[in-house]
Amino acid sequence: MSEAPSAPTTVAVGPAFAPARRPRRLGLRIGRGLVPYLLLAPAVAVIAAVLAYPLYLLGALSFQQYGLFELIRHEGKWIGTDNYSTILHDSQFWHVLLRTVVFTGLCVAFTMLFGTLIALLLVRLGGFMRLLLTSGLVLVWSMPVVVAVNIWIWMFDFEFGVVNYLLTKLHVGDYVHHDWFENPRTGLIIIGAIVVWGAIPFVAITLFAGLTQVPSELVEAASLDGAGPLRIFRDITVPILKPIFVILISLSIIWDFQVFNQVWIARGGQPTDEYFLMAIYAFVSSFRIQQYGLGSAIAVVMVLVMLVVTFVYIREMVRIGETQ
Amino acid sequence: MRLRVVAAGAACAALALGVSTASGVPARSASPHAAQATTLRVWLQVDAQQNWEGAVNAASNKFEASHPGTNVKVEYQTWNDHLTKFDASLAGNNAPDVIELGNTEMTKYMAAGAFADITSSKRSIPNSATWLKGLTESATYKGKLYGVPYYAGARGVIYRTDQYKAAGIKGTPKSLDQFQADLSKLQKKFGKDRRYSALYFPGQYWLASMSFVYDYGGQIATYKNGKWKGTLDSPQAIQALTRLKKIVRAYSRANKTGDEANPAQALVFAKGKVGSIIANGWEWGYALNKDTGNPGLADSIGAFPMPSHTPGKYMPTFLGGSDLAIPVTSRNKQLAVDWLKEFTGTDLMRYMATVGKVLPNTTSLANVHKTNKQIAPFAKAASASWFVPAAPNWVNVENKRIIRNMLVRIFSGRHSVASEAKKASQEITAELNRGS
Repeated sequence: MSEAPSAPTTVAVGPAFAPARRPRRLGLRIGRGLVPYLLLAPAVAVIAAVLAYPLYLLGALSFQQYGLFELIRHEGKWIGTDNYSTILHDSQFWHVLLRTVVFTGLCVAFTMLFGTLIALLLVRLGGFMRLLLTSGLVLVWSMPVVVAVNIWIWMFDFEFGVVNYLLTKLHVGDYVHHDWFENPRTGLIIIGAIVVWGAIPFVAITLFAGLTQVPSELVEAASLDGAGPLRIFRDITVPILKPIFVILISLSIIWDFQVFNQVWIARGGQPTDEYFLMAIYAFVSSFRIQQYGLGSAIAVVMVLVMLVVTFVYIREMVRIGETQ
Repeated sequence: MRLRVVAAGAACAALALGVSTASGVPARSASPHAAQATTLRVWLQVDAQQNWEGAVNAASNKFEASHPGTNVKVEYQTWNDHLTKFDASLAGNNAPDVIELGNTEMTKYMAAGAFADITSSKRSIPNSATWLKGLTESATYKGKLYGVPYYAGARGVIYRTDQYKAAGIKGTPKSLDQFQADLSKLQKKFGKDRRYSALYFPGQYWLASMSFVYDYGGQIATYKNGKWKGTLDSPQAIQALTRLKKIVRAYSRANKTGDEANPAQALVFAKGKVGSIIANGWEWGYALNKDTGNPGLADSIGAFPMPSHTPGKYMPTFLGGSDLAIPVTSRNKQLAVDWLKEFTGTDLMRYMATVGKVLPNTTSLANVHKTNKQIAPFAKAASASWFVPAAPNWVNVENKRIIRNMLVRIFSGRHSVASEAKKASQEITAELNRGS
């Protein structure tokens, strides 16, 4: 029982400490018990400074009237939950929320679909082609968002875009001066495509790494028993890769729910309200009109919504952690 | 293993100590020297950099010569995000000493107390007795002066004289009907080219659009009994917007979701497939720019004031422009005033007006443009003008893009003028009456 205080900490530090369980002198034991905390302290301090304190400020700000007037004086006015009720009574908020949920769902679905297909392809490719494809994926992954979005938008440009040019040349239709962003649905599909394009490499490469861990004897045994490729994928690959899938899907949801740059750059920094996704809505209704309290409240609501959306996955992740 | 852990811990500790000393030492040693070299930070918009950087440099050089130990640091900003950056600098106690604001952006900041009151220095600032009335008003709040008028701009029609001639158009139009008839002739003559626009008018061009509204007797918003009310759904405004929609859909092949700045309409004009644009005086120079425009158009470019729907009158133009203000947080307010005196002095103002093709901030220089066929039409156009509602929150309407959103939906033809105008008016009402 005397070991009890130090037991959890030794586990936390690592298995290397576990075998040394002989009774020691008391002073040494306390010293040993403190070491992990000392080692953790710098990390905790950094996290507190860059994460916890800003989060606290965000929460505090969301209960204040904080506009330009207050900004200049560095002092907000406490107004309780007014900011929250303003948001929840704003019909635009609900439209934007619905649009963002649909947008996120589609983006994540297509990212996972194409990412998985490319990963499966990578497993089956020969050395050279695999290298080529992987390099392509890494190039996409490493390209800065601003550059990538601008290039995409040039391709879809109204006046000089190569897409309009090609479609017209190929006699698909008359695409001279076709404005891809006039109908927000088409526009959001293009923006979604840019998001998916940028997200595929991470998913594909991670899944490829996972796929190489699927024991080949299992696959062989299954195919000897007459299972087709779809069956093998469903009953062997997916269950084995489930933890990876869960992590990738939840990360993708978090990323796609907060898409900002792609919309912002694609619409030249002035998206019309039909292009508002959650992050854009938060920015325009806070920074653009200097309502920082309101903006903080929107950010808090965004986090809460995201927690609800990803709850299932987080629960799943915790379960996986417990069973392993 | 244990050794490695201890080493890592020591390294962390050393790093933490190192960081704290590194951040602590320079701050202490720097303070005694701070008084020796004062830096005056000035934020101007890129227009100054592109068109009259010579004036900026001349002002700073003279200022530094007469104020030993000071240096001026000019940082150029873009219209799209300069307010967001300014707000951040206010929050971070890092605001500049002088800032340029568009005249529609002033009210909210003056009302919030963001700028220093310079009423007492007014007399000592050059030409302050003859400043343009419109600009002075935009820098005045509750009888106090918070900014120095910088320059003004008025929009007119810049057109291709050769194309107008080829289409059989004689003289410049004296009414909107006549202008529309001219546009029809142009479109008939050149419109077979699917990229040609007799009048290039991008969908989000709200300043030119609102000129139609004011021409028909409409207004963006009115103030009554202590409340603002968006009035773009008044019969006059709807009549104007309906007329504009017809013109845009018939004669413009500009992007209906784009605006006049991206791509710059003067550069599209320079490419040759445009008959006319509604533009500021200085955009004439952009069109002829030897790097980005087309100097070959120099002999076939002209300008006239936009005609009203009432024959013989001009359509009111938006009186745009900028003011220069001193943020209340500045620690160098007197130096800032001194720099402003240099920068807005008569000689440099004349330079800006002639080289930069803007309307100078003072009526005493009005003659600069009288004989210049390149600027005179715009100076004339400025005789009939409109300005945005003087509500403290007006800039929110601009920043939320309420009018732009409305126009895009109207011009795309997917929504009716009446329903969109009503929706926009409601949003404007809500925004202007918001507690600051």
